[in-house]
Amino acid sequence: MNLIGENITYKPDDQFHLNDVSFNFKKGNLYTILGRTLSGKTTFLKTIAGLLNPDSGNLSFEDNDFIKIPVWERNVAMVYQQFINYPHLNVYENIIFPLKQRKISEDQIKKDVEEALKTVGLVGFENRKIQELSGGQQQRVALARSLAKKAKILLLDEPLVNLDYKLREQLREEFKRIFTQGLSEDTILIYSTTDPQEVMELNGEVIVLDEGKVLQKGPAKEIFENPRTLKVAEISNDPPMNILKGTKNSEKLSFENILINSPSHFKNLSDQGYNFGIRASEIKLDDQGEEFEIELAEISGSETLLHLKKGESKVIALIEEVMNFKIHEKVKIKFNENKLYAFDQNEELVSSPYGVSHG
Amino acid sequence: MNFKHKYVFLFPGLFVLIGILIFPIIFTIRLSLSGWNSYTPEMNFIGITNYIRLFTDDPRFWESFFRLSFLSVTTVILQYIIGFALALIVWREIKFKRFFRVIFLIPMMTTPVIMTVIWRTFFHESLGPVNDLLGNLGVEPILWLSDPVIAKFTVIIVEVWQWTPFMFLLLLAGLLSLPKEPFLAAAIDGASPFRKFVYVTFPLMAPISIGAIIIRLIEASKIMDTVFVLTSGGPGTATETSSFYIYIKGLREFQMGYAATLSFTYLVIMIISLTIIAKVLTKLMIKK
Amino acid sequence: MEKLYKFLKYTFIILWTVFIVAPFLWAISTSFKDFQSVNSKVTYIPWLDFEPTLEGWRVLVKSPARGGVDIVEPYFNSLFVTCTASLISIVLGTLAAYALSRFTFKAGFVRNNDITFFFISQRIMPPIVLSIPFFIFLSTIGLLDSLIGLVVVYIVLLMPIAVWIMVDFFNRVPKELDETALIDGCNPYQAFYKVVLPNSIPGLIVAGMFCIIFGWIDFFFAFILTFTEVQLLPVKVVALNSSITPWWSLSASALISVAPLIIVAFVVERYLSKGNLSGALK
Repeated sequence: MNLIGENITYKPDDQFHLNDVSFNFKKGNLYTILGRTLSGKTTFLKTIAGLLNPDSGNLSFEDNDFIKIPVWERNVAMVYQQFINYPHLNVYENIIFPLKQRKISEDQIKKDVEEALKTVGLVGFENRKIQELSGGQQQRVALARSLAKKAKILLLDEPLVNLDYKLREQLREEFKRIFTQGLSEDTILIYSTTDPQEVMELNGEVIVLDEGKVLQKGPAKEIFENPRTLKVAEISNDPPMNILKGTKNSEKLSFENILINSPSHFKNLSDQGYNFGIRASEIKLDDQGEEFEIELAEISGSETLLHLKKGESKVIALIEEVMNFKIHEKVKIKFNENKLYAFDQNEELVSSPYGVSHG
Repeated sequence: MNFKHKYVFLFPGLFVLIGILIFPIIFTIRLSLSGWNSYTPEMNFIGITNYIRLFTDDPRFWESFFRLSFLSVTTVILQYIIGFALALIVWREIKFKRFFRVIFLIPMMTTPVIMTVIWRTFFHESLGPVNDLLGNLGVEPILWLSDPVIAKFTVIIVEVWQWTPFMFLLLLAGLLSLPKEPFLAAAIDGASPFRKFVYVTFPLMAPISIGAIIIRLIEASKIMDTVFVLTSGGPGTATETSSFYIYIKGLREFQMGYAATLSFTYLVIMIISLTIIAKVLTKLMIKK
Repeated sequence: MEKLYKFLKYTFIILWTVFIVAPFLWAISTSFKDFQSVNSKVTYIPWLDFEPTLEGWRVLVKSPARGGVDIVEPYFNSLFVTCTASLISIVLGTLAAYALSRFTFKAGFVRNNDITFFFISQRIMPPIVLSIPFFIFLSTIGLLDSLIGLVVVYIVLLMPIAVWIMVDFFNRVPKELDETALIDGCNPYQAFYKVVLPNSIPGLIVAGMFCIIFGWIDFFFAFILTFTEVQLLPVKVVALNSSITPWWSLSASALISVAPLIIVAFVVERYLSKGNLSGALK
């Protein structure tokens, strides 16, 4: 009864858009597809919707071969990152469009639309033209249309990416509420994004996609705590996890003439070269620390992002307050060694502060 | 997207067009190998006799072709220069902008032959206003339609009047769709209007210009209506173009077979030369 | 310098305006003249230079039996041929353009662009090349000198224009719009007429205008493929030209023939100013 994909491959030109992708999605769950731009997220969703046919592999839903069912009979809903609505129809007509297609009774349509409008907070906007709405409102209409349809599979393709920062925060909160309350037990919800924070907040099952390939699957917490490879660690952190090439030498770790104590969770690692990983938030300003030069300081919201450099190594530090720095100024920083990751020469995770779970 | 429904969208138009065209083209090729004329109106087979005649014994066709080339290239260059100038002027704010835009568009909406009928009275050598007004200035009457050299220029004047608007429309639509940023940058640099045109407007307009010139060349190569009414190819053969010559051979002298030979050769030459012109223009204009 | 530039600019557009308007003014003036004021000396301004008469215009509404020029029938013939051929071209051309803009076609080395080029390149075909085989073809099936025969030929003239404008237009309509319609339960036909078509009205109007212009102004095919049964407007007006020059009725009928499409100039300008045409013609 699940949505099951097996070895799905899509290669329209000389590049893989999907490369041997398999999954098993259960009803009532939320799945997030995390990946950078052009990693195949949209292709993934379009394949499930039926807008694209994979070159090979199987896709089944409720034990039916989904590939044989054309898109218009699949009963899926999709919200695009561009705000796609029918420009020639008003808000109300937009939302009933899919319902009319399915010949549902007038009364039922009325009820469903009212409910959907209430869920997205657009009651009173029924007769507005789409062009008169703001981007955020347009995206709510698109979401309302998808919800009213009560589709069994709901696809959201980076629905917040084209909104400005404030609206994004606000709508993301609402999405969380809608996903937990407004959806039936019957629905599979698939949400794609480039933003790791969104993935953590939505807290569903995550699929990390890169160049059309699945790098890791698992609960959001698992991806965050134990990124299986260096690539996943980069994709699932914003700013990307800092990677420093160095070596372990019994009780000490060294990189760029810096020596720090090896943390306790590294004690089983043999002495050799590693890629050490550390999140930007685990680097703190500290007068006792190592001296780095500031290349760039960005203030975003209540935080300051410092791009730092020492020799060949570049790191990004996230300071949780607004501070003014000059470029080329020297600062001293300290790495929180208890939150260090170690990846081996094949870029695979060998030690994490949360303990490695292999498999 | 890829659904089998796509064929239902494409095929009706495609097959109607192919259906209408395939017969005439095959028929023309076959006809060109026959000696069909008013004495023997039948599809006999005479091989490439007609083609030999065309390439060895028909200077009139080649003259008409070079005349056509001269007329169409000259008119299109004039249309491009004038059309571009007009488009640049009414592109920016100017008094009565919309009035001028409408006026500049009007000639292309008028039927060429019908306007040519008017032009014929306009350039009439004794009763037309042009010679009359020039006469008031002391100019001797000009033989607009009966002098072999001047008649060519009369044809050019009428063609420029008729079709500059189309060039103007394509170029103005192009100008209006240009991005604003390069112009802002040029304005900040304090570039003079002339430099702005040479370094910003013209390069940005190059692809649109090429498109417009090719479209106009294609249409201008069909010059026929104007010549037919204005001078009937005369005086003598001074304004006879290829189409007109084919018309005379085929539908006046009823040498259908030979006219088909001319038609087919003409079509092939047109396709080859327009392809070459398109390539050369692209090289010349986009390189900078 | 600035002033000189401005002076040249205005001089240029005013001279050009005079050039454009001149034949119309001349035709209007001539249409009110009689034999005397045309043939004695060149006259320009009514009442001042000559005594205006309505004879040139009256002839147009007189029956041919009483020495009139029947312009009404050619008028409707032209209207019928232009509109029918435009309609067929736009319907077929729009469908094909949609297919070429949205779906991928592969057949041997042929791709979408090649098919689009095939459609548009039909404009290269010189009318004379088509007219000889059509002359023979239509006379074989008995459609020479008929409206239907002309409509068939005009489709070749107009469909390339429709395809050219509509492919460009559809390329600028986001394909996500049709995809959403498909997801919402429309099959490709329904997605086209319920969603794409209602949002393509500006493109359709531009394509329609161009088809009507290029249909209405054609002379050559009408001239070769019709004789007495069916006459189109341009042929009729040109026929007046060859008889003994009654310039007044000639001018009047010419003015009446070109008048309806001048309205199109206003429509085109409106679309140009609104920016709807810019993309459609690039």
